[in-house]
Amino acid sequence: MLSLIEISRRRLQFGLIASIFALIAYLILMINGLGAGLNELAGSALLNMDADAIAYSENAGLSVIRSELSQAMVDAVGPATGARATAPLAYVAATYRLEGKQPDSVALLGYDPGTIAEPPVTAGRALTAADTRGALADKTFLDQTGLKIGVTVTVNQRLEQVQLTIVGEIDEGAFFFQPAVYILRPTLLDLKYGATDPASRPVASIVLVQGPERSGVLGEIEVVDKQTAFANIEGVSGQSATVRSLQVFGFLIGTMVIGVFFYVLTLQKEGQIGMLKAVGASNRYVMQQLLLQVGTIAVLGMLVAIPLAVLTERSLKSGSAVVPVSLSAELIAVTTVLLLVTSIVGALFSMRKVLAVDPIIALGRQQ
Amino acid sequence: MPEPLVSVTHLTKTYESDGNEVQAVRDVSFSMEAGEFLAIVGPSGSGKTTLLAMLGGLLTPSSGSIIVAGREISTLPPRARAGYRRTTVGFIFQQLNLFPYLTARENVLLMRAIGACGPDATRQADQLLAELGLKERANTQVSRLSGGERQRVAIARALMNDPAIVLADEPTSNLDSVRGAQVVRMLIDECKARNKLTVMVTHDREMADMADRILEMHDGHLTGVLAGSAAG
Ligand SMILES: Nc1ncnc2c1ncn2[C@@H]1O[C@H](COP(=O)(O)OP(=O)(O)OP(=O)(O)O)[C@@H](O)[C@H]1O
Ligand SMILES: [Mg+2]
Repeated sequence: MLSLIEISRRRLQFGLIASIFALIAYLILMINGLGAGLNELAGSALLNMDADAIAYSENAGLSVIRSELSQAMVDAVGPATGARATAPLAYVAATYRLEGKQPDSVALLGYDPGTIAEPPVTAGRALTAADTRGALADKTFLDQTGLKIGVTVTVNQRLEQVQLTIVGEIDEGAFFFQPAVYILRPTLLDLKYGATDPASRPVASIVLVQGPERSGVLGEIEVVDKQTAFANIEGVSGQSATVRSLQVFGFLIGTMVIGVFFYVLTLQKEGQIGMLKAVGASNRYVMQQLLLQVGTIAVLGMLVAIPLAVLTERSLKSGSAVVPVSLSAELIAVTTVLLLVTSIVGALFSMRKVLAVDPIIALGRQQ
Repeated sequence: MPEPLVSVTHLTKTYESDGNEVQAVRDVSFSMEAGEFLAIVGPSGSGKTTLLAMLGGLLTPSSGSIIVAGREISTLPPRARAGYRRTTVGFIFQQLNLFPYLTARENVLLMRAIGACGPDATRQADQLLAELGLKERANTQVSRLSGGERQRVAIARALMNDPAIVLADEPTSNLDSVRGAQVVRMLIDECKARNKLTVMVTHDREMADMADRILEMHDGHLTGVLAGSAAG
């Protein structure tokens, strides 16, 4: 195979070309990974919840922060949606302060053990109804703070304060750009509403719904699927637009650079192509060789870029200042396929050039 | 008298550039037999390369006809012309002949890759390389070969598709006269042994003299046909 032998014989030249390809692929992977990481930070805990849909109070405009549900509304969700299972969940942002550090915030989520809202525990133990001062902290929270299971943290919410002891670790991610910490719902309600009459205060922010038959506005509640709920997290839609633009620009520019690169590669081969055609090679043969070469460079480039991106992701995640980055297998696969297709399309652009090469140039004259 | 392998009649090529017309080949007629070795000589710009390019199916004539083995080739569409070059013509160019990063053998076997060879291409390639004194150099990259060695590889490549016609445009212009004569000698021997019609454009009278016949061109016209030393 002419084109493959060429790569193996001109390793320096093709190594450089493959490196450029790898760098662009790496850049695109990282932009996408950072975008995905940012989105996870916005609310991966919501996406990880064991529910298909989320119910809000109808007047909250799909805002978890503004949504407040009475016991009657919580009870109405099941019958109104025809769901398999439901569970109330209360949310409040709270601050904590570690010795010698700036105060920081966590997302407190109040749930009832035994319901679908209960997160699976990855280390330590789950909460029981008696654990009114117990907490399940997300892995990222423990990583960031260096706290361990068994440690007690003081958490503030307005003028209220509570000492929470971490009894278990969970892997739910972030909620509203803060690490998620699950506690019992009554504890959270006390913290959130203080010394108000328990009979008159809301009992939850949202209700998790599994297998709803109906959604939309149903009386005093509004039910939407989880993806819509995620998109409606404050800040997500604007951020998503930014992330999406970055992805599109990164991809467009990367694609163009790669396309131009392969075009220049073809131009450089004009003499060789003319000679091949002069001795009778078909356009098809020439194109095949060109595509084979471009495809090989692209695959080699990806083989460098993917491990590089994964290594970068690891080191960014393990660093002291946590950078949100997430490279899923799906993201890598999609990026790889898109870049390979792009390269082939870029090479096909050169097809016109290949077809236009006049074999007469082999006799040493300009076309 | 048998049909000639190639008959050229009233062949004309007019180039147009910037509104100027250049008559590069004007009303040229001649014929050639299989096994013949012809040289085309003439001053620079007299139309030698243009004539050769038309014979080789690299250029379409403005008018006139070229019949090769009973087939009119001057009016072939591009794809059929590529097929004609692949099956019927062997080319040796002045430069740009070979892929520098391929070995001598790989360059020769390239003809198989483009579908121009029969089933025993490998044996044929090794035999040609041996005959041309390149046995030891067969697996050397062309970029490390001398100019004379390169042109010998080009001769081997030109014969790989077992062509009816071998065309060479100033194959020795980059070589000194001793080496040049050596290469032309080998070209003649190889082509004669295989009964190929060979047409070589050259500036060098001495080399031209090694041919059976010498076509002289001047200003696009065929001004004379001389017998070379090999004639008779
Ligand atoms: N593509 C072209 N467009 C216009 N004129 C051309 C073109 N190619 C060749 N010519 C002209 O046609 C004439 C014949 O050119 P050709 O290359 O056939 O000459 P030649 O005998 O091979 O010359 P040389 O010995 O220098 O190689 C010259 O006047 C040249 O300038
Ligand atoms: Mg010439």
